[in-house]
Amino acid sequence: MRFALIFILAVLIGAAVFANAGYVEGKLLRADPDTVPADPALRRFAVSRGQPAFVAHCAGCHGVSGAGDPVQGVPNLTDRDWLYGTGRVADIEQIVEYGIRSRNSRAWSLAIMPAYARPHPNPADQNIRPLSPSEISDLIEFLFRQQGRAADAAAASRGAALYSGDAGCYDCHSLDAKGDSAIGAPSLADAITLYGDGSRDALYQSIAYGRQGVCPAWIKKLGAPDIREIAVYVYSMSHPGEMSNAD
Amino acid sequence: MPTDQKTTGSPWRDPTRVSSVRSFLLMSIGALIGLFLAGYSLFTARGASTLSVPAEDVAMVNQQAISRSDYLILLQTLYGVDLSHATREQRQKVLNDMIREELFVQRGKELDLASSDPEVRSALVNAVELEISENAITAQPNEATLRDYYATHQDRYVSEGVMNVRDWVFPAGGPDDIAANREALKSAAMLPETLARLHARESGKTQGDEFYFAAKIHLGDQLFASARDLSDGTVSASIQQSDGVHVLYMLTNKRPVPFDFAKARPQVLNDYRNHAIDQLKAGDESFLRKRAIIHIADDLR
Repeated sequence: MRFALIFILAVLIGAAVFANAGYVEGKLLRADPDTVPADPALRRFAVSRGQPAFVAHCAGCHGVSGAGDPVQGVPNLTDRDWLYGTGRVADIEQIVEYGIRSRNSRAWSLAIMPAYARPHPNPADQNIRPLSPSEISDLIEFLFRQQGRAADAAAASRGAALYSGDAGCYDCHSLDAKGDSAIGAPSLADAITLYGDGSRDALYQSIAYGRQGVCPAWIKKLGAPDIREIAVYVYSMSHPGEMSNAD
Repeated sequence: MPTDQKTTGSPWRDPTRVSSVRSFLLMSIGALIGLFLAGYSLFTARGASTLSVPAEDVAMVNQQAISRSDYLILLQTLYGVDLSHATREQRQKVLNDMIREELFVQRGKELDLASSDPEVRSALVNAVELEISENAITAQPNEATLRDYYATHQDRYVSEGVMNVRDWVFPAGGPDDIAANREALKSAAMLPETLARLHARESGKTQGDEFYFAAKIHLGDQLFASARDLSDGTVSASIQQSDGVHVLYMLTNKRPVPFDFAKARPQVLNDYRNHAIDQLKAGDESFLRKRAIIHIADDLR
């Protein structure tokens, strides 16, 4: 009889744990995603389940620590420099769900970085003309000047005219070169670089041969709870202080 | 073996004795737990809920879910607000719009619009192709696979060549002594005088450093083919063209250089994925053709 009672008790405890997890999961999904970090119970739940899901599905590119890889153009998820959106949980969730240039019709795919050393820099936009090697060099000097680094003044002035004129860079990266997170155009005026080390050679590579990074869409591979949990976990990586202070 | 008949008090409490009351009680508890779990799973499982709206959705329209995340995205897109800052009217409007869309999509299926409306057909074809591509992109190739792909297609991963070449045109049937004046043609100081003496001019087709593709467009195929092989500081042989005899002087010629794997990797990954997408599309089409029963009219066989 004692064995039967222990067994029943164990089943009931298991059922209670299962039911509680289901309850918290439901609460997590129904919550406004941006309010989850401020709710300690939901946050702990999401982060504890999001971490293994991140390792299983995202770490292949972003690394287990989420630090990314500038050689491959994989963004660092531990800083607060966001290429798409403003880093809210909802923004992150949208990327996990639909991806970037993932061929999902709801993915972020408004723009690509043209390859200016190719006859057709952007096959989707015939108005963008190729640049000459010296024009690319002028643009690089302009970007160096924007970042506060030593640059050839005359070349930088020519580059500035190109940037806001014929080359059309301003169209995505904005006139002040601070980028536009609504279309995933990175800021060119800070020291954070998505590809390479920010050297002239790395900038030349980006301008001459283009960039178009891809993040897969997980909507059909993962459930809604997994996606929300990964989003909260990714948010926690760039807000470690905020996450621990809320406890 | 003790039996119920021989006991006094409550025999079902004594686990050392057989008790039909206890057996029925435990069986009943087990059955109830089983029924509860089965019922819970049946009516609340993701994608199979019939009684409630799953937590990840905001509505069910004829058992078709309207995703909560899509709702939040639409709310943000239309009004620039998140859920906690949206007014009741904004929330209601977005939800009603989404329900309306779902109802019309379902009606569209009932009307079988895909068989008659070319735009729906085109959208469906496009969506199926995107679906195939999406699957290919989600599968992340390992480094060894990418390196193999890079090694097989290495000719694609080279820099664009750059040349700075001057193109002189001499009168048709021009002077025989071009060769004799090669060194003078290379000298900046002597160039104007030499060109004047030989009645030649600069074609103006090239301007400073140019990528190979641009030089090819400016010079034309014949002159570019000749220029591409010139080393720095060398002068080409005479090239007869309709407007005269051309002589090229190569100031600098940076030939295309292969990118190493690290430099080429982003492009290799994109190309690999595009290749995988093409293969998947072809495979899917082949499968669909095999599965389908297709009869073709006699006159078109």
